[in-house]
Amino acid sequence: MIKSVDLTRIFLTEEVETTALRQVTFDIKQGEFVAIMGPSGCGKSTLLNIIGLLDNPTKGKYIFLDHDVTNSSERQRAKLRKQNIGFVFQNFNLIDELTVFENVEMPLIYLGIPTKERKQRVEEVLEQMQISHRKKHFPGQLSGGQQQRVAVARAVVSNPKLILADEPTGNLDSANGEEVMNLLSDLNRKGTTIIMVTHSQRDAEYSHRIIRLFDGQILVENFQSN
Amino acid sequence: MFKNYLLSAIRNMAKNKFYSALNIIGLTIGLVTFILIFLYVRDEITYDQHHKNYERIYRIESSFRIGTKYDNFAIVPFPMAPALQLEFPEVENVVRFAGEDNLLVRIGDKEYYENRFYYTDSTVFDVFNHSLLAGSLDRCLAEPNTIVLTNSSAKKYFGNENPIGRIVLVDNDMQFKVTAVVADVLENSHLKFDALMSVATLAHRPGGEDFNSMEPDRFWNIGLYAYVLLNPNSNIESIFEKFPQFYEKYMKSLGDQLNASFDLKATRLDKVHLTSKLAADLPTGNIAYIKIFSIVALFILLLASINYMNMATARATKRAKEVGLRKVIGADRYQLIIQFISEALLLTFIAYLLSLLITSMLLADFNTLSGKAFTFNGIATPDFLLLIFGISVIIGIISGSYPAFYLSSFSPLKVLKGHAGKSGKASHWLRRGLVLIQFFIAIVMIIATIVVSDQLDFLKNKDLGFDKNNTVVLEMQDTSFRKQAVAFKEHLLQNPSIVSACNSSGVPSRNLWIQVMLVEQENEMKEMAVILTQCDYDYPKTMEFKFVEGRDFDKNMGTDDTAAVIINQTAAKQFGWGADAIGKKINYGMELDRSGGRIMKVIGVVKDYNFNSLHNKIEPIIMFISPRPRFLMTVRYKEGEKNQALEYIEQSWKEFGNKRPFDYKMLSEMQEESYGAEQRISTLFLIIASITLFIALLGLLGLSSFTAESRTREIGIRKVNGALTGDIMLLLFREFFWLILISFVFAVPVAIWQITNWMESSFVYYTQIHWYSVAISGLVALIIGLATISFHVVRAASANPVESLKYE
Repeated sequence: MIKSVDLTRIFLTEEVETTALRQVTFDIKQGEFVAIMGPSGCGKSTLLNIIGLLDNPTKGKYIFLDHDVTNSSERQRAKLRKQNIGFVFQNFNLIDELTVFENVEMPLIYLGIPTKERKQRVEEVLEQMQISHRKKHFPGQLSGGQQQRVAVARAVVSNPKLILADEPTGNLDSANGEEVMNLLSDLNRKGTTIIMVTHSQRDAEYSHRIIRLFDGQILVENFQSN
Repeated sequence: MFKNYLLSAIRNMAKNKFYSALNIIGLTIGLVTFILIFLYVRDEITYDQHHKNYERIYRIESSFRIGTKYDNFAIVPFPMAPALQLEFPEVENVVRFAGEDNLLVRIGDKEYYENRFYYTDSTVFDVFNHSLLAGSLDRCLAEPNTIVLTNSSAKKYFGNENPIGRIVLVDNDMQFKVTAVVADVLENSHLKFDALMSVATLAHRPGGEDFNSMEPDRFWNIGLYAYVLLNPNSNIESIFEKFPQFYEKYMKSLGDQLNASFDLKATRLDKVHLTSKLAADLPTGNIAYIKIFSIVALFILLLASINYMNMATARATKRAKEVGLRKVIGADRYQLIIQFISEALLLTFIAYLLSLLITSMLLADFNTLSGKAFTFNGIATPDFLLLIFGISVIIGIISGSYPAFYLSSFSPLKVLKGHAGKSGKASHWLRRGLVLIQFFIAIVMIIATIVVSDQLDFLKNKDLGFDKNNTVVLEMQDTSFRKQAVAFKEHLLQNPSIVSACNSSGVPSRNLWIQVMLVEQENEMKEMAVILTQCDYDYPKTMEFKFVEGRDFDKNMGTDDTAAVIINQTAAKQFGWGADAIGKKINYGMELDRSGGRIMKVIGVVKDYNFNSLHNKIEPIIMFISPRPRFLMTVRYKEGEKNQALEYIEQSWKEFGNKRPFDYKMLSEMQEESYGAEQRISTLFLIIASITLFIALLGLLGLSSFTAESRTREIGIRKVNGALTGDIMLLLFREFFWLILISFVFAVPVAIWQITNWMESSFVYYTQIHWYSVAISGLVALIIGLATISFHVVRAASANPVESLKYE
């Protein structure tokens, strides 16, 4: 599903040049659940951004679903992104001015799905995430766990092939964190590929494979047998 | 402490160059506009107040009834003022000004045409204050053939030579000796003169007795401006109260015979300029425009202040941390308020200095536009500078106080934890509201500008009932030349470029002759005051009047030169004749006992034509053949052959020995002269609309920049969730689109209501407000508005979401 060869990402500011990724090479197959771990500043988020088509590598090659997207335009990437990828963030990134329903509905609007179908799909996914009783609330009125369930709902509502989760439990207590991890595992069992950045060894246990990054390089890949 | 505030204010300004520049530009434009309008308004409302006794000086005016027709004039009967002084102890002094139009003045071999020469009583300098520059004011106008010049006239005629005792030759045959030179009449005087000639001169001329005779018939002939200076403890009302006895004594007997009456009116000197709306008046101001401009000046200041408030609160998020820190280290709220207000004051102070600079640079153009003569030295008095400074300070405090109170209210704990300082919903709506107000005003101004210009087009292009194009009008002042008018006209007609020519006492746009005549009614002939033109056979043809009934003058009829009259439709209607006007009788020039006179029958009715400007309703007018040549010669030439025609006319003018230099006016220009005020207003509206729109755009630019900034995270989230750059742009544009649309919806009725009021009160004939004029103004606001924000919108929409989400 995903193939990267010698991915390198260098950030240039006025004064310094920072290499966030150095020649990172890996494959991820359809249906995998991969955790990316490593200390702060090791390049996890940068890698996730490239995988999520939010950023382009400086060097190297990146193939997403058989498309070589290494140097594709923002427009092409945005198109691939909205059809195939759902995002879950540590800080949920919900829009405060929109209700739960509207937040979840958003990706479908950008996919051009008709109102009626949108309604049905949002209702379904909210039901699935057990948050439908809160659909008229605003994010500010929800607990962290509830907000993250909404964020997951938003990530899956368009039935993406891939979900990218950036420390999805980082802002949650352990009970809520576990709940979110169970949701992700469920989705993975139903066939969705999941790539998750995490600090938490416990969360990483849910994955099939752990990629450990250090200073922008892959240190080790562990295959798990759960 | 103050130094710290100032330093912090300066650094803040330097750090936020974009916002500071927007604010300073906005405030400067606001102040410059305010200053210029202030100067204009102050000048207009202080007319004639430089005369020491202005509160005791009144201009006396006439209110006539003749038959059923009422008319008010700025001019009075010749002996009115001296008679008032004779009869009423309240009157301390009087002075009269009889104007002479288009006077030919010769100094040596140089010729000048002058319009601002007046025959004046010798008391003029006892009533009014004019400073003496040379000669003596004592008895300077007491003797016949004496003249007082203003400084400019003296310089124009005599250069740097001493003008006292020199001779000014007027109208080829009158010699005046210069007895004094006074300073030029101040621009804000309603009566401006270039020279004053002694009234005594006229006693030696035919008709001169007009001035001093108190015979009854002299009271029924108006022709000059007159002013009375009241005693310190008297008031004008006591004269009005006693006026009936005066009328009884001097005017009633003849008035009754004429079926007329007269009442005295008066306007205090300083009120003449702005309140007078009388016939035969000098150019006056318009209080309506003063009001409009005052309101506009305040609005523009308001707009500029709004911009400041808007941008300052918008930046609250960025300032929140600073506020929190300052509070943690011990600043109390009061100190923070002072700090934020000093920032506003610093900006307004810079704007104040810039606005003075820019005002001084714009003054010359502004003078051209406003017809004023301001100089920077003249306006930069300490009072004025202090006043504008005071206003700047007030703007600074007002516009600084809202952000100051708002920003200083942040709780340090929340701010430092990163929670507060996100501008709340309330301030969000306030900002939108403020921009809404700005666009509301801008759109009203744009609509007004377009409609005023439509009205101007309408005034210039309306079918007036005669053809004003391809026509020149010549004044025949030289009396010996005028006697040859018939031959002159025949000579002109020999040229192939000339289509027709006519001689008349008046032409459309210049028709001042009103006289009492007898008009046929059901059982009797009745006195009516009617406007008339005496002309020759070719007048209706040359003007291209359209006949709706009857026929034109015809030499072959034999009697048309004495027994025929042509009237307009309104006359037929108002005389009660309707469709049966042909054959009805008018007796013109009868004696007081109704004997004699010239009895004429109506031979034709012409379609109503606008012989006055479109400010006025069409009144009855009649025309008949004059027994002798009249003042005006109108020549119609072939389309496109103006130059050939004019060349020939000038050549003929000289061949016939006219003592005056050749001069002419286009009939179309004479017609359009009456719309000078509207022309100016139209230009002013355009400028003001541009300024308001520009300030509103600055506000919009600030708001859009803020929106783009504050919605960065939302935009990032949306993009991550599949929004394309285009979707985001649409999202951002939509918000502003609604803002402008709502302003438009509010602006349209207000604009239409105000403009309709203005047109109804100023014009009898006016254009309708076209839907497309309104639509265009909305579109202009929308397009310019959206173009303004597009910079920030495009930048925000195309930003990489990674950046915006990382900062969370």
